[in-house]
Amino acid sequence: MGSKVDDLFGYVQERCLWQFHSRTWDRSENIDGIIGKAIDLLAGREPAADTPADRCFVADAKVMVADFRSRFPWIKEADEAEITQLLGGLRDRLTDLAITRSRNHELTHTLY
Amino acid sequence: MPMVLLECDQDIPERERHIYFKAPGEDSRDYLPAANAPTIPGTLSERGCSFCGAKLVIGGVLKDTIQMIHGPLGCAYDTWHTKRYPSDNGHFQLKYSWSTDMKESHIVFGGEKRLEKCMHEAFDAMPEIKRMVVYTTCPTALIGDDVKAVVKKVTAARPDVDIFTVECPGFAGVSQSKGHHVLNIGWVSEKVGTVEPEITSEYTINFIGDYNIQGDTDVLQRYWDRLGIQVIAHFTGNSTYDACRSMHRAKLNVVNCARSAGYIANELKRLYGIPRLDIDSWGFNYMAEAIRKVASFFGLEEKAEELIAEETAKWKPRLDWYKERLQGKKMAIWTGGPRLWHWTKAVEDDLGVEVVAMSSKFGHEEDFEKVIARGRNGTYYIDDPNELEFFEIMDKAKPDIIFTGPRVGDLVKKLHIPYVNGHAYHNGPYMGFEGFVNMARDMYNATHNPLFRLAAIDIRDDRALLVEEAA
Repeated sequence: MGSKVDDLFGYVQERCLWQFHSRTWDRSENIDGIIGKAIDLLAGREPAADTPADRCFVADAKVMVADFRSRFPWIKEADEAEITQLLGGLRDRLTDLAITRSRNHELTHTLY
Repeated sequence: MPMVLLECDQDIPERERHIYFKAPGEDSRDYLPAANAPTIPGTLSERGCSFCGAKLVIGGVLKDTIQMIHGPLGCAYDTWHTKRYPSDNGHFQLKYSWSTDMKESHIVFGGEKRLEKCMHEAFDAMPEIKRMVVYTTCPTALIGDDVKAVVKKVTAARPDVDIFTVECPGFAGVSQSKGHHVLNIGWVSEKVGTVEPEITSEYTINFIGDYNIQGDTDVLQRYWDRLGIQVIAHFTGNSTYDACRSMHRAKLNVVNCARSAGYIANELKRLYGIPRLDIDSWGFNYMAEAIRKVASFFGLEEKAEELIAEETAKWKPRLDWYKERLQGKKMAIWTGGPRLWHWTKAVEDDLGVEVVAMSSKFGHEEDFEKVIARGRNGTYYIDDPNELEFFEIMDKAKPDIIFTGPRVGDLVKKLHIPYVNGHAYHNGPYMGFEGFVNMARDMYNATHNPLFRLAAIDIRDDRALLVEEAA
């Protein structure tokens, strides 16, 4: 499980930008939003896209999930419980890196 | 030893906080170069001033706007046409430069009357132009000229004009980054929402943080057109003043340069609920991903795949030709900030090029988080470098090619290492599929150019000795 999360984490670090938006709340929204949509997509569900923010998360999640499937074939075999666990692990790693232990001093500034 | 104290920095050990060497096995959460911090006394920075960040990078790109620079002539000249951003109206913004040409007497007695006179003169001389941005500079800020009061008077006298004021003198911040910030926040606070655009598509975006360097915007615009997406405003490549006033009507903010324009995207999200989608517009794979994401937001996936397939068929063979010949080359990126993280993985994946050193003049810690996440092990990451550091890092990293600006570019020549203009490009555009082929071509031409080797030969000597150190 750990090495699979490593793979997913490595992908996000190399290919994505949304985990590094300007402030903690932006990062948190993006990480939770996009991972949530990715779980739906990997589980074969149509993710909710009712709001502009949702649609934006889905747009990012779709590209990520397509790449997950092509780069990491094992993810196609995972059942929903495993997907939830894997992506939960990914969410925790990203939150730890980009929020909790980030050394970026601007993250909590109240103004942009 | 992830944070590095270079030999040349022994007398300014504070520089160690700004230089990171990424090594395998280290936890990158433990290290982040200090950035967007005041330049340390004793180091000769390559940074630009805050006024420059507002004028040269963002405001000066607008194609229908007088850029009135309230200050000595040099402030206007040095932020004029050094970055090549053309426009489809005959390059108005590159042809002209405007200055109040402040002299000693104006500094002593105040420059407000002179500013007012210059503003009227400029509008009279160019009666078809009804928009103006007025910038303060170091001296006019220091003497306390009330620029906003003058703008109010001129606007009252000329009801058909609209004027925006940028009060960001050169000393306002530690680098040009402050100018980006001041212009972004000022614009969204004062100007966005004051013009209603004509909506021609149900799919509308703002394309933020692209300045049409050698036609970048044109390339991207063709993609949006083919997808049926209306760009309400480019911020600010090939854009008009009024288009940028109507940014509140877009359904999506697509952000390329998050450093210079992430602020306005954040504010548009906060004030108007427009989501922010960050993309990379440089690189073949990144561009395809970006198109897929934007298209997915609007449900235009099929059109996007057609577009990507067409562009790939057209440009990929050319890219691959260059990739074969650039494979294994080592590159240094010595630019402003965002191009580090936009380019490092793109050149690695699409061209087989290894980035061995990267420096940022005005990036923030956020930019270093991004580039360290994407960059290779065994690479140097440097904030606000000085010239001696540049030479020392080049000696350690030994790049085959350096992407940087013309100022550092002159230093590069002395090392006989090929240099490509990383700010304004050599032969762009560099964005999009065709743009990345252009970038690859410039890299190939530079690294295979025999002049660099020949220039190092001293022909006065029969033995044609190599000049080891021309500097």
